[in-house]
Amino acid sequence: MFPDGLSHRSPQELRRYAEVLVYIAAADGELVREEIAVIEAMMGRCMIHPEVRVDIRSGFEHPVPLEQSLMDLEHGLIRFILRDAAFVAAIDGSYDPKEIKALKAIAKAGEVSKEDLSSLLDWVGDGWNWYQDFSKIL
Amino acid sequence: MLPDTVHKLPREERFAYARLLAYIARIDDELTIDEMAMFEQRLGTALLSPNQREMIRDDLRNPPSLEECMENLSGEAGRLALRDAVMMAAADGNVDEDERDALEDISEVLGLKEDAVDQLLQWTVKGYRWMKEGYDILDNLEE
Repeated sequence: MFPDGLSHRSPQELRRYAEVLVYIAAADGELVREEIAVIEAMMGRCMIHPEVRVDIRSGFEHPVPLEQSLMDLEHGLIRFILRDAAFVAAIDGSYDPKEIKALKAIAKAGEVSKEDLSSLLDWVGDGWNWYQDFSKIL
Repeated sequence: MLPDTVHKLPREERFAYARLLAYIARIDDELTIDEMAMFEQRLGTALLSPNQREMIRDDLRNPPSLEECMENLSGEAGRLALRDAVMMAAADGNVDEDERDALEDISEVLGLKEDAVDQLLQWTVKGYRWMKEGYDILDNLEE
């Protein structure tokens, strides 16, 4: 929805980014339309090539293992991934234990502390509240 | 990216929603990377078919008229389109006069309150502040 800090990333890095988001969406064993919409939105936002998106969508059925997608990524990128993974996990209204476990694994890979992960999740909640305010306007 | 209802609209309304965004994107004859990223993001949210996405991208090259865009837009789809048009117009940090006029026209066609665009712009600014806080959190994690 906003400039995302990912525009300078390589196509390979963006692919890994999207793979992780798909993994998170599929983590609780069910993929709802809201999760697909948010992943499509994030792939669009960082302008992943349409043909690559087709490949990434295949992960909805068979997600790439998290460790594989995160392997050798720099911490800075992993932290952006963590931010957006938190959005995907929250999109259906709650964090499933499996989603939390995956978020903790991403945080660990990015050397993000529990406190900072907690701050990120609070921040996602704040954004949720801000977004809902739209309905009061119109 | 946040909880949304665009994907719940009927397919033809999602298409109309996206056409309106294409119209706004081209209103000042200039499409910045930030606007394009926002546009692609909203196309993603709308869960359009690949064919529909191609048609919408054609609309970017040959923008439709506002009247054409407003066809098939129900009240809810229209309001969501106006909200996202405001965010897209502001994506490059500035809403120019042509964009502002177009947003006001859409609001009028939808029969919204006179200050609806103003309120949406204020809401968008709050959203940008919130996004900045997210960057700050990530920046403070740097070693």
